[in-house]
Amino acid sequence: MAESGVLAESTQERLAALGAMDLVAGIPSYNNAGTIAHTGDAIRSGLAAHFGSLRCLIVNADGGSADGTPAKLREAVSGDGLLQLPYSVKPADQLSGPHAGVTGKTSALRAILNAANTLGAKACVIFEPDVTSITPDWVPAMARPVLEKQFDFVAPDHVRHKFDGTINKSIVYPLTRALYGKRIRQPIGGDFGFSSKLMAHYLAQDAWSQDMGTFGVEIWLVTQAICGRFRICQARLGPKVRETADAAHDLSGVLVQVLGPLFQAMERDVAFWQRARGSEPVPVFGAAEEVSGEAAAIDVQKMIDSYRLGYQNLLEVWGLVLSPATLLELKRIARADANYFRMPDEVWVRTIYDYALAYRLRVIHREHLLRALTPLYLGWLASFLLEMREADQAEVDRRLERFCLAYESSKPYLISRWRWPENFNP
Amino acid sequence: MWKQVNEALTEATRRVITGVANILPGMLALVLAVLGSCVVAAILKWLVERSLRGINFDARLEQWGLSALAEWSPAKSPTRLAGRVVAWATILLGLLVGLGALEAGLASQLVMQVFNYLPNAFAALVLLFFGSLVARYLARGVLIGAVNMQMQSARLLSLGVKWLVLVLTAAMALEHLRIGGDIVKLAFSILFGGIVLALALAVGLGSKEMVSRTWEKQSKESSKDAEGSFHHF
Repeated sequence: MAESGVLAESTQERLAALGAMDLVAGIPSYNNAGTIAHTGDAIRSGLAAHFGSLRCLIVNADGGSADGTPAKLREAVSGDGLLQLPYSVKPADQLSGPHAGVTGKTSALRAILNAANTLGAKACVIFEPDVTSITPDWVPAMARPVLEKQFDFVAPDHVRHKFDGTINKSIVYPLTRALYGKRIRQPIGGDFGFSSKLMAHYLAQDAWSQDMGTFGVEIWLVTQAICGRFRICQARLGPKVRETADAAHDLSGVLVQVLGPLFQAMERDVAFWQRARGSEPVPVFGAAEEVSGEAAAIDVQKMIDSYRLGYQNLLEVWGLVLSPATLLELKRIARADANYFRMPDEVWVRTIYDYALAYRLRVIHREHLLRALTPLYLGWLASFLLEMREADQAEVDRRLERFCLAYESSKPYLISRWRWPENFNP
Repeated sequence: MWKQVNEALTEATRRVITGVANILPGMLALVLAVLGSCVVAAILKWLVERSLRGINFDARLEQWGLSALAEWSPAKSPTRLAGRVVAWATILLGLLVGLGALEAGLASQLVMQVFNYLPNAFAALVLLFFGSLVARYLARGVLIGAVNMQMQSARLLSLGVKWLVLVLTAAMALEHLRIGGDIVKLAFSILFGGIVLALALAVGLGSKEMVSRTWEKQSKESSKDAEGSFHHF
């Protein structure tokens, strides 16, 4: 049986019959009947309006949706401009609870990249199927930097409210920036643009044989592009509104899904990031949009209570991971009055670095380790929200910049601990 | 008469000397076996401790959540405990071999019984080892999960799970050791059944209102979360 994501012989024949393409727009899908038609329609309109002179194709990789997703897409994108490919989803993934993103995304992306590569496409853009705010303008925003400016990797830069995406703001962006030296604001934004050169590079890697998970494959794609020294840029897109609610109800599950692959990437790319110093900006294309709408109501006191409850009960786990100085700081924070509840940047940064090392050393079961971070993250979040409650977007951006610099300035601590873990005994 | 006395004494002396002569090789073999096993035990102890120190066994055991083992160990070092267990097991083995060499019926029977019992003892030890690992793993998982669900009684819940698994493991180990017989089964059934019944009664009667209030609160909070969703990611 062929590996999932590898094109069958019959598919290759269909691709050969289609002939060469200039631009491929990929949509991975799995049970997205509610939104797929809108996504497909927006992409079709975007291709027709902006790339009418090019040979374009929409490639949909579907994991065997039971809700008629492929048929809905066919209705929205009629004609020869659509190619639908199957990929298999493991039975365990089918039975497990709701995933963040498309189930079996590794295989879906592999199938799309394989098809684009076989078709000789100069560029491939990929969009998520469950985004209700996608517009036709997203297609040129992601494709033009590749087709016209010779960039190899395009990351999205969605407009977000100042308090949205706090896992990205507190960990993913500053950590990838400090490690890899590139300021990609949304490293795992879900949408991508690739050049033919980068697609060939991806497909030549062995990593596809295992399911990396939704966030895992996205982290892999971006870190591979950085480590391969490909030309990277960002495209400003409008707000990203998903059909499915944010997985906030299982916050610790999201932390496991995001941080696990991120820490694995640290193990994989250790030779690269230990040599990288500082960080450099990544070009951004497109006009900046104003954030509209009010922030969701946030109960900061509940977050502080969660942090304090964690401090009361999880010290034995944190004690295996964090340094005595950090634990002392955490104690001080836990006892602070709610109005003065603040987590210093250095404490949070060292916590994340210590966690990365504990993950590598398998100090305890990895899932337990990452789930035990939840109260600490809520503590950081409460501190951030209290500090920035009156701030405007520009002030929040400046604050986050200082926060990122704290990650960069503490990187020698991480390198030292990574190289000589036995010299530190928490 | 003196002749008869002399003969009796001579015969008795001969019997004793013959007896001693008969038992002497066995005794010598026993002493040699014990001495030899002591030497082998010392070598094995040194080898085991050296190997375990090489892999940083004490620290790893703590990472696996078996820090309690250090409390029971000499000098709080499970490595030393393992070395001593190996040494004493070797000496015991030597003693059994030596007793077998005596060719005394009782000794041979004892040796056979001990050897027959060894697989059960080994199985019980394995059960206890894995039981404590599972107990620790589950207790930690429950503790973290309960804290993340903001349950005030997280530690109590975690302790409950840990001791439930440990009691189950101990009952299984005693069953393997054939100690206690049906009393262990009965005691475990009564204890386990009692805990379940107590919990059922507590939830069903005593905490009926509290449980309903908690559920109500949780359902309100989850619907509130869904309406005003905060996007962590």
